[in-house]
Amino acid sequence: MYSRYGWLGQLWRQVVVWLVIGFAVFPVIWIFSASLNPSDTIMGQALIPKNATFAHYVELFTSTDHPFGLWLWNSIKVAGISAALTVLLASLAAYAFSRFRFRGRREGLVAMLIVQMFPQMLAMVALYLLLLKLGQYVPWLGLNTHGGLILLYLGGGLGFNAWLMKGYFDTIPRSLEESAMMDGATAFQAFLRIILPLSRPILAVIFLLAFIGTYSDFLLANIMLTSRDQLTFAVGLRIFISGMYSTRWGAFSAASLVGALPIAVIFYLLKDQFVSGLTQGGVKG
Amino acid sequence: MKKALALLVALTLLASLAVGSAGALASTPGKLLIWCSEAQVPALKPMAAEFQKKYGVPVMVTEMGFGDIRPNLITKGPSGEGPDLIVGPHDWLGELVANGAVAPIDLTANEESLFTGTAIKAFTYNGKLYGMPYAVEAIGLIYNKKLVPHPPKTLDELMAVAKKLTDPAKKEYGFLYPLGDAYHAYPFLSADGHYFFRLTSKGFDAKDIGIAQMVPGARIIATLTQSGLVPKGSDYNTMASLFQSGKVGMIMTGPWQIDSIKKAGIDYGVAKLPTIDGRPATPFVGVQGFMMSAFSKNKLLAMQFLRDFVMTKEGQLAIHKVDPRIPALKSAFEAVSSDPDLKAFGESAADGIPMPAIPEMAAVWNAVQNALTAITNGQTDPVTAMKTADAQVRKAIAQGAKK
Amino acid sequence: MAHPISSPRPSRPGISFAGRPLALLAAAVILALGAWACVYLYLRGDRWIALILFLGLLATVYVFTSPRVYPLRYIWPGLVFFVLLVVYPIGYTVYSAFTNYGTGHMLSKSQAVQQLQSALYAPPDAKTFTFTAFGDPKGKIVFLLKGADGQLLLAQDGRVKPLSADDPQPVSKDGGQTYERLGDLPAIPPLKLIARLSQLQNQTFAYGESVLSISSLNQFSEMRHQYKYDPQRDVLTNLATGKEYRPKDGYYTSADGQTLSPGFTSRVGFYNFTRLFEDQAIRGPFTEVFIWTLVWATLTVVIQLVAGLALGLLMNDPYLKLRNFYRSVLILPYAIPAFISALVWTGLLNTDVGIINGILRHIIGFNIPWFQSPFWAKVALFLVNLWLGYPYMMLIILGALQSIPGELYEAARVDGATPGQIIRTITLPLLMTTIGPLLVGSFAFNFNNFNVIYLVTGGNPPMVGAQTPAGHTDILISYTYRLAFEGGQGNQLGFAAAISIVIFVIVAVISLIQFRFTRLAEEVSTDYV
Repeated sequence: MYSRYGWLGQLWRQVVVWLVIGFAVFPVIWIFSASLNPSDTIMGQALIPKNATFAHYVELFTSTDHPFGLWLWNSIKVAGISAALTVLLASLAAYAFSRFRFRGRREGLVAMLIVQMFPQMLAMVALYLLLLKLGQYVPWLGLNTHGGLILLYLGGGLGFNAWLMKGYFDTIPRSLEESAMMDGATAFQAFLRIILPLSRPILAVIFLLAFIGTYSDFLLANIMLTSRDQLTFAVGLRIFISGMYSTRWGAFSAASLVGALPIAVIFYLLKDQFVSGLTQGGVKG
Repeated sequence: MKKALALLVALTLLASLAVGSAGALASTPGKLLIWCSEAQVPALKPMAAEFQKKYGVPVMVTEMGFGDIRPNLITKGPSGEGPDLIVGPHDWLGELVANGAVAPIDLTANEESLFTGTAIKAFTYNGKLYGMPYAVEAIGLIYNKKLVPHPPKTLDELMAVAKKLTDPAKKEYGFLYPLGDAYHAYPFLSADGHYFFRLTSKGFDAKDIGIAQMVPGARIIATLTQSGLVPKGSDYNTMASLFQSGKVGMIMTGPWQIDSIKKAGIDYGVAKLPTIDGRPATPFVGVQGFMMSAFSKNKLLAMQFLRDFVMTKEGQLAIHKVDPRIPALKSAFEAVSSDPDLKAFGESAADGIPMPAIPEMAAVWNAVQNALTAITNGQTDPVTAMKTADAQVRKAIAQGAKK
Repeated sequence: MAHPISSPRPSRPGISFAGRPLALLAAAVILALGAWACVYLYLRGDRWIALILFLGLLATVYVFTSPRVYPLRYIWPGLVFFVLLVVYPIGYTVYSAFTNYGTGHMLSKSQAVQQLQSALYAPPDAKTFTFTAFGDPKGKIVFLLKGADGQLLLAQDGRVKPLSADDPQPVSKDGGQTYERLGDLPAIPPLKLIARLSQLQNQTFAYGESVLSISSLNQFSEMRHQYKYDPQRDVLTNLATGKEYRPKDGYYTSADGQTLSPGFTSRVGFYNFTRLFEDQAIRGPFTEVFIWTLVWATLTVVIQLVAGLALGLLMNDPYLKLRNFYRSVLILPYAIPAFISALVWTGLLNTDVGIINGILRHIIGFNIPWFQSPFWAKVALFLVNLWLGYPYMMLIILGALQSIPGELYEAARVDGATPGQIIRTITLPLLMTTIGPLLVGSFAFNFNNFNVIYLVTGGNPPMVGAQTPAGHTDILISYTYRLAFEGGQGNQLGFAAAISIVIFVIVAVISLIQFRFTRLAEEVSTDYV
């Protein structure tokens, strides 16, 4: 649908994009401002605070009580593994829903989505008890372990992810798999060698969604993790802000921004994955 | 792009190898575990080391978000995943005791007399002592010495000074406080001797609710906002940031704000809250202390720790150094009473009443906060607002009491 | 687009391990491990878990061997996690909804009994004793107590008796100030005793009607048990007054209605539900809250969809310079914790001192009462939620756009369609088939988006005169959770569970109607009719 346009076309698009970026970044600038403020104020009166300092950033990486580097790594590790597994589980399920016809197929799809709408308020207690029990038998899947936490994250969003992926798979022509199966490939091999490579954009999107979802989660992680070295970034951050009034906004803002960087970087690294072989025809010079 | 994908996979695999396990941390016999928030960690760590050196008993100090300590003890304690001691304010007691999450501690009359009366009273619930206090706090009047050379002694003086300093166009204000916050509004609301719940010799009486009578205080609040002295958007963060930018004469808040004010380079002073209609203002007093988990397997050990470090002047001063509030141990308080900030906050606290710890308070915060917002927004008059809040609280308590 | 495949497919085999010894080995190992775990769990006493695991194993074996349910093999791994991590917690919530679980009722009955049973109190004229502990390395421990009157008592094996001539005699070098040995047993110095304190904390020694127990490193105290529990009759008796307490509504309760704290979790039938439906006060603001909830969820989805669509199309534009950089910047709101960004937004929108009103004042000449007027508070919520939520929409649209075959655009262009027409007739319909169901999901998510409301307005401005605290921007879930968590009795988790269920039913029904109405669940593919 896109065709080459002149400088005028480029101009108005750039103007629109920059307006949106202004909207997106405006609050972020103020968070940055707060992170430079030595006096822990969330909304300073000046964009560049009096006595502006990078002390909060220095503290992040030098504090012995709060090993932020380790926490950041924990988060990336937990989010990375659970996102990869989520993509795997969701794509398998989506393949079945897209390519096979069986009883209860549509109902199953709708049911998965609906069930996920259940308010999660009390789920925490149930999941806590689950890990408590599991940990008695399998210590590395118990409370205060990353294994257990990753396990818990695998349940989130299967319904949404499978839907999104199934919609994508549906648009991949069947003829591609059929010819492979003529040559003796099994359905599973066709899935692995044909469907998956063709679906990179949606796999990347779901990876990213799952990654961000688990990376920024603190509700579950906060209940499951207790010891200092096991904490994830979001849980570690909470130490600064859970007080009634004595909230350390400076350190919290600095940490929030540092924590957002890996996501932007991963998004940037995945940029090539968003271009699909299917749509190449849509680009015409 | 293949490379990026491969890199990702490799990273993930590598990472998965690093999935370590760490045993859950819980109260184990012969090992003390303390949950506290960030403020106390630097003081408790050396104590832990000293305790271990002295008795050969390891002490773990786990830092936790302040707001998470209470719910975590309630959910994790019964399953055996809790600590031996927690550090927190006395108004957690209502919920903790109702849930059987904390155990009473036994102090002799002599030992109790080492602490200030308010502190012991605050930690006494249903006639039993449930914690060893280490600090007392209440809000006071913090003022910018440049703008307000002499802090006002009465509310009328305060309004007069504030009027002179207020110029909304320049974002300059004479007096600010968090409008919608019932805790900060309490000195006003309690004007004329009114109360949320009546304080009797047995503690707070949840059946004697006096919110509807708090009209004089509510009128003060209405005057403050409608006369344009306190702007509508005055919440805690706004108050803090404006004061720190040097544009505000006086604010009403607690010692937790002092550190930030110092960092902002403001020449400040602290004064006792002004009198209201000739009577001293009564803020809520919060007391911080150590509470014993009912699920602790080391109650005697934990008591030993408390006796060695919290019931001693050195211990209280060590905590005071990193968490500068008013020490609850008399001898420690005397040692720091030359500090003018502490003295002023202490004087405010002396006239205050302990924050009610009874679980019924949960209903009050919500209803009164709504009333305050409605008054300051000008949505309704003080009489109706307080009457509504009173009815809401009564209803919530009656509803909850059915089961 | 594609050719129909005759069904059943030829490639729906049972599992054949021929030529795949590794797979066979793996399957065997997993099965063996599972079977072993079943037995182990059973022997350890976790019978229910053992049974569930066993049934799970059976089902797994069936799924992976029967050609009839071949498609299920793909769904199975995800389904197992789904059941464990989504369905089981829902089951737990449903169970809790029929209990009084919450403040005062957090413990199980046996835990509550145990606590009450071990509760001690000091009688009016309680005696105290100094003591010396004697013990051998094997752990045997004996205490020699000295009363205020100088009498010596021997505490061991749960009993206390006066020291008699038949007992091992204490040996003192300083005339009874301190003791070195008791018979053959050497004294344990207090510092050494510390390490053993935790084993001793629950030891009591019968002493007449009372018990003696260690109260500190140098003292034994006389204490009395407050309650005695009779397991046969399930009755707690107050030993001082003789009053009996029986379990009732989650508390041990006396005949005259006195209750003992802590209570315990007990079943309450439909109480939580009837309370929700019968409470007049709850119904008061319900209509307004419900309508606002619907408006909130619907408009939020529409706004975010429009924004996400526009951005998705722009960011998919291969001719747009710097688009990879833009994408990474535009994702930022999603990467920053909502906790801080929501608060920064409330600061920016602050009526009197906020930056946004500061700018607007120059343009329109007055302050917008962002959080004081119900209307503007709602506008503020939409604005903040747009900021928080558009990156998600942009992402999924970006992904879904990749699935639209280029030939379609090609053909349309050849037919002379304008870009607007192409978007309307090709992009949108095809996009909807992929993301349509997610819009329903997004609707449900925002229907229950407690966090945003809580962080941005807290439900304010308040509704004046409501019988129960409510605000103009409260949505159903924030409003009802207030009842459960900010009522008079602490956190009523059982009640919150009941609320969750009712709200879920409402959301589910609305979503199903949306599915029906929009035919979103209909198939995209033309393969099957």
